Order: sequence, then C-alpha cells, then structure tokens
Amino acid sequence: MNIVGKRFWYFLASGVLILLGIISLSTFGLKSAIEFSSGSILSVTLDTPVEYSQFKQEITQLGYKDAIVQSTAAGEFLIRTQQLSEEQKASLESDLTAKFGTLSESQFYSVSSLVASETTRNAAIAVGVALIGILIYVTIAFRKMPNAFRLGASSVIALFHDVFVTTGLFSLFGHIFGWELNLMFITGILTIIGYSINNTIVVFDRIRENTIRGVSANFETIVNNSVVETIGRSMNTSITVMIVTLALILFVGASIQSFAITLFIGNIVGTFDSVFVAPGLLVVWDKHEWGRFIGRGLKPAEAKAK
Amino acid sequence: MTRNNRIVLLIILVIFAFTAWIVFPFSGNRLGRNGMRLGLDLVGGVHLVYQAQLSDNYTNADVSAALDRAVLTIQKRIDTYGVTEPIIQKLGADRILVQLPGFTDIEAAKKLVEQTGYLDFREVEKNSTGALVYLKDYFAQPSLQFIDTAETGNRIFVSSVNDNSGKSVDKTVAYLTNDNGVIKLTDGAGNPADNTTLAQYANTPSWIPSRGTDGKQLTGALLSDAQAIMDSSTAVSKPAINIKWNSEGSTIFDQIAARLHNPAGTGGAYSLAYALGIFLDNNLLSAPQMTSASYGGTGTISGSFTLAEAQDMANLLKSGALPIQLAKPPLYQEKVSATLGKEFISMALKAAFIGTLMVMLFMIAYYRLPGLLASLALIFYGTLSLTIFKLIPVTLSLAGLGGFIASLGMAVDANVLIFERMKEELRLGRTLGAAVEAGFHRAWSAIRDSNLTTVLACVILYWLGSTAVASTAVKGFALTLAIGVLISMFTAITVTRTFLRLFVGTSLADKTALFSVGGGKKK
Repeated sequence: MNIVGKRFWYFLASGVLILLGIISLSTFGLKSAIEFSSGSILSVTLDTPVEYSQFKQEITQLGYKDAIVQSTAAGEFLIRTQQLSEEQKASLESDLTAKFGTLSESQFYSVSSLVASETTRNAAIAVGVALIGILIYVTIAFRKMPNAFRLGASSVIALFHDVFVTTGLFSLFGHIFGWELNLMFITGILTIIGYSINNTIVVFDRIRENTIRGVSANFETIVNNSVVETIGRSMNTSITVMIVTLALILFVGASIQSFAITLFIGNIVGTFDSVFVAPGLLVVWDKHEWGRFIGRGLKPAEAKAK
Repeated sequence: MTRNNRIVLLIILVIFAFTAWIVFPFSGNRLGRNGMRLGLDLVGGVHLVYQAQLSDNYTNADVSAALDRAVLTIQKRIDTYGVTEPIIQKLGADRILVQLPGFTDIEAAKKLVEQTGYLDFREVEKNSTGALVYLKDYFAQPSLQFIDTAETGNRIFVSSVNDNSGKSVDKTVAYLTNDNGVIKLTDGAGNPADNTTLAQYANTPSWIPSRGTDGKQLTGALLSDAQAIMDSSTAVSKPAINIKWNSEGSTIFDQIAARLHNPAGTGGAYSLAYALGIFLDNNLLSAPQMTSASYGGTGTISGSFTLAEAQDMANLLKSGALPIQLAKPPLYQEKVSATLGKEFISMALKAAFIGTLMVMLFMIAYYRLPGLLASLALIFYGTLSLTIFKLIPVTLSLAGLGGFIASLGMAVDANVLIFERMKEELRLGRTLGAAVEAGFHRAWSAIRDSNLTTVLACVILYWLGSTAVASTAVKGFALTLAIGVLISMFTAITVTRTFLRLFVGTSLADKTALFSVGGGKKK
C-alpha cells in the first residue's frame, strides 16, 4: 500500500472538507447556545396541553416577539428569550397561567451577558492553549528525532484541520437538525484535541522506531511503512470510540448530544488526519514541497505528474 | 515469573471483588451500593452564581475575607434547610457559587442566598430643642445638612402606603446619606430625588441609627439567638420572633431603652418619640414603644408576616448579615427538575451497557482470545473507575457520565496497540511468551505519549470548567476523563498482561488462531 505517495489526493480531499466547512460556516454559521450568547431558557409544563401555535402566539402577544418556542413533549414548552429579570419571569408565568391554566416550571436557565462573553473568551483560550500544549508536548516527546518541531507542527496542523472540519460539519448538520454550539461542543472539541492526537502519536512513534532501526534511507518510505503498519490499529481504536459515542447519541442525547456528535465526527476526521494528512505533511516538509503544496495543492493530478 | 504473575492476578482479583462490592448492586437511581455523588443535572436542583458588589476602597485581602465570611453565612442559612451536599464556594476573585442539589424552588433559593439580612435598630431624629425631625424639616433647609449633627449615619424615611391588595404597609420612600461630605437625598430605590419628587412624603419621620453610650450601633451582629414564635400577648396570637442579645448587645439595648422609654409605661399613648424602629435591610419591620427602661437582653420582633416568614427571618438573623452585597439578578442561574435527571441516569446506563457490550464484541471478534481478556479488563476498568469516582468523591454530572462512557471506548486503545504489536511479533515467528513481552514493551512509549496528551487536554478543560461560570459540568467531565485515562493505562496494561501470561507455556499458546494471527493478513 502506498498511502503517503498519494498524499496530494488526500490533501485534496481534506481541502474539499475545509472548503465545505468554510461555505457552511459563512452561509449557516453556528447557532450559539445561551452560555455564549446570554439569555434565559424557561421550560414549562401545562396541566392542560395546548397546540404549539396557540402557545407561540400567546408568547408573541406578551411581547416576546424574538422568543424561540419549542414543544418538547405534549404540553411541555421551552421558551428561549433575552435575559429575563425576576419580575419579567414572574409576570410571564402568571400571564401564561391566566391564559392556559396551571403550569409547572421544570427548568430555568439564565446567563448574563458578562458571563456569556467571559465563557466565549475562555473557551477560545482553552482551544488555543490545548493546540499549543500539544505542539510543545509532541516536540518534546520526539526530541530525539531530527526536526522534532516538524512532527509537533504537522500534528498540530492536522489537529487544527480536525477541529475546523468538525466545526464546519457541525455547522452544516446543525443547520439541518437545529444543533447548538454550547459548552459541551467545546468540551467535545477539546476531547478530540486530546484524543485524536493519539493516532498521530502512534504513527509518529512508529516513524521514530523505523528511523532508529534504519528500515530505509528514504524518509518517504519510512513514513509510508509506518502508516501502513499502524493503520489497523488506528482504525480499530477509532471504531471502539465510534461505538461508544454512537451509543451516547442514540441512548442519551439530551444535553450531551452536541458533545457526543462532536466526538463522533471529530474522531472520524481525526483518524483520517493522522493516517493521511499528518504523515503526508511530514514528507512534504522533508522534501521541501511547500511551494508545490501551496501553489498547486489543489491540482494534485498535475503535481503528481511532474 | 509465573509465581509473580499469580500473585499479581490474586491482587487484581481482590481489587476487582472490592470494586464490585462498592459498585453493585445499583441501588435505585443513585448508582452503586451507597450511591454516587451526582451532579445537579442528574438529581435536579438549583445552581446560582453571584457577583459581589464591592466599593472601590476594598483591598483584595478585604474582598477575599468578606467573601469567605459571606460563604460561611450562606452555608449557615442553607444548613437549616437540610439540603444534602450543598456546594457554596468562592468562584474567582469576587463571585460566589451556590449549588443546591434536590432543592428546586429557585426563587426561594435566591431569596435565601441574596438577602443581606442586615438588622439594625433606629429611632426618630430630634433637633436641638428635642422636637422630632420630619422630611419637611430637611426641605426647609437652604442647603442640605444633617439636623442632629452628632449623628452622621444615614437617615431613612418610611411612609405607610397601600400595597396592591389595598393593605397599608410600611415602605422606605427616601434616604438621606453622607456621600464623601456631601449630603444627598435619594428615593427608596436609591435614585437621586429632590423636594418636589418627594413632596408627598414631607411628613415622614427621619429614622437615625440607635447607638449605645459608647457610640456603637445596635445591629443584628450583636444577637446571640433568634426563634420564631406565636406571640400570644396580643388579642389574636400572631407570628413573631424572639431575639436574645449577647452581653454587649444587652447592655447597648438597655442603654437605648433607658433613653427612649415612655415614662407612662405600658399604659401610655403611642408616640414616635418613644419608638424603636426595627429595620431589616433598610425596611421597617415594626416600631414598638419602649415601655420599660430595661429588657434584660431579650426582645420580640413583631410585624406583618406569616409563621413561615417569621421562621425564615429568624434563620436569617441567626446566620447573620452578609458582609457584602450580591448583585441581582445572579450572573448565572439554572434550575433542573429532578424528573429529567432520573431519565438521564437510566439512559446513560443503557448507553454504557450497550456501548461496552459492543466494544467487547468487537474486540473479541477481531482479536479472539486477547480480545476476550481485554474485555474482562474493560469490565474491571468500569468498576474500578466508578469505585474511584465514589471514593474521591467525584461529582458525576451527565457530562461526567458521558465522559466516562466515552472513556470505555478509549480504554481499549492501549490493548489495541499492544495486540497489534503482539500480532506482528507472532508473525515474525516468536513464541507467545516473547510476543506478549515484546508487545507490551514496545507499545509502551506510544501508549504513554498518547494518553498524556489526553490528560493534558483534560487539565485545560478543568481550567475552563473552573473559570467559566456556566460550566461546572465541564469540570466534572475533565476529571472523570482524566481519571479514566490513567486507570485505563493500568487496566489495559497490567491487567491484560497478567491474564495473557497465564496462557504462556500452556497448550493453548500454540493455537495461533486463538490469537488471530492465522486469520490476519500478512504483509
């Protein structure tokens, strides 16, 4: 199997995924949950169920024109609004009671804008620090290799790619299924950063071993052999993670749905990255192909022909 | 070697028996024999984060000390409600986090936490000739200054107004405060006000702090006890609060009583000149006549409240006043109903069982005998992790359970690495014993590096979880995943190796099909 030799095809594939991500993010964007955008979520259960449209209309009439109303079960509604004060919440509940009869409040959730912007900032810092931390860790772990920094940088580029593509796909599917970008999504992303690097490290570890054993004088051959030798392992570990995340998506969902989905997508993309992208980048770097990569990376057939 | 291995196996079995004893049987909805510590999202409850309001002249040390005292005060208030495992702690430099598992009345919880509970005693200001001072006397001044110049504390003006139901209640309508040498008039909500806006309250009396002869103000800080009672001294018995002063409070109280008491005793007509105003958070509760010159350290606070309110108030007075104000509304508030949590637990259990079963089937199908051993190690991993969560204890939120379930899939990662390595060694024609040792030895560096990066990500997540107000769930997740990764390094390596070594040298060792080598494709 010659995987590394076809690296520009894989770069093309990942270019397509990135492009898809860019298009989706710029057209659909990401719907922020209230942790990041501030606001209140009130969920109420009516003793006597009413139609969604009737409920929604009442909410609009009460002056909450921008409120998002969801029907979560019969007679159970979730109302998402801007941050509600104590008085606003009390009057909303009493108005609804007056209209629809007794209701019980099953959930209330309110985030101030100060906290929302802080959370957004900290989440961004966390992702950034995680990527830099991995760069440093991989560089140190492989310090005995010539050009250890290249290993670190390639793995982080692969990770960044993983994060970006996962976010892009999340935005695309999120648009269709109404997923929200919340803290559990960020948690999923950070887990991916920490876990999907495992595959890359295993491949790099084998490259280290094969280099020391002097399997071949040709770096590309060493890299390719290492990838081929570890591919079974890479697939199997991602399959086991896929199994449990799928179980989470199917049986739990709820508030950790975005976490499970992010982990599911990121795990697949991450495995692709560590097998096809990160080792390829190493070879590109080793052969000083950057010009070719950047200049004609999107025309691999041509690049390969030369 | 074999002997050592038997000892290790024995130790593993003993640990497993212990963990199984801790974890099984699953009792009710709390997971495990005596229950795990479960997060708010699983048992329901209230989660609040408050920002402390501090004036600029506080130093960092002051703030920190004040917050510590506030946390203690809130703890005392919560304690009387019998909430199990409440969490009340400082968050960052100037915030307070309150988590009340199982307590789902969010409005009551907020009231309990955010009420300052500052009790003070006041009397009506008198001018130099001894006449009572009213707001109109201040209106008559060419420029605002305190009439009783000896008293520099703020003045509170209280008026009887009709509430929504038409009942007459006492309401604070204006304040007169000394703001860095400038006397300012504000309305009841603290907004600047002047003679015209407050004209309707011209006849309200000016309440000034009551002090002992040494100038010390009489406040709730000097109380030693407060109990709600039914006061039967009136014609219709009504709820009231019995208070007891400490020795200093008792002295000051009697000094004030001696000064204010009505010479006509209990038979005298009510006069503001002899009234002691009892204020809670600047609102007048009642203004009883001082009918005696000495009270011996006890007193009764009456007012228009129900018995439940009297109990809350007694609790508030006993716990003392918050040393700082908490900004309202809270920065973050969340209420989760308990019914949702029960569903989550059963759903998570289902996901865990089915997920584990599928992973085990996959491992056995792919790796045969080693896969079976890895599956046994995985069960051990599950019970050991849960035991450690229980013993630390780690608060398991839904996210934490999610992290644990995800880690069930990750835990076999090291096994996969080792088994792949073993297969390579077996294909090279080594004996099982040599292949097992080589597989474990040579896979170690990859296992170490890959697991440590996951731990690194967990550390960062833990930081995110402890700084971001909204995300205590993230913290729990980071902790469960980090513990899971570390435990899996033990179970996947030590436990699986011990099991595998049992087969070394037996007749089974030669049946390569059991180790999936025959079926594997040679490169």
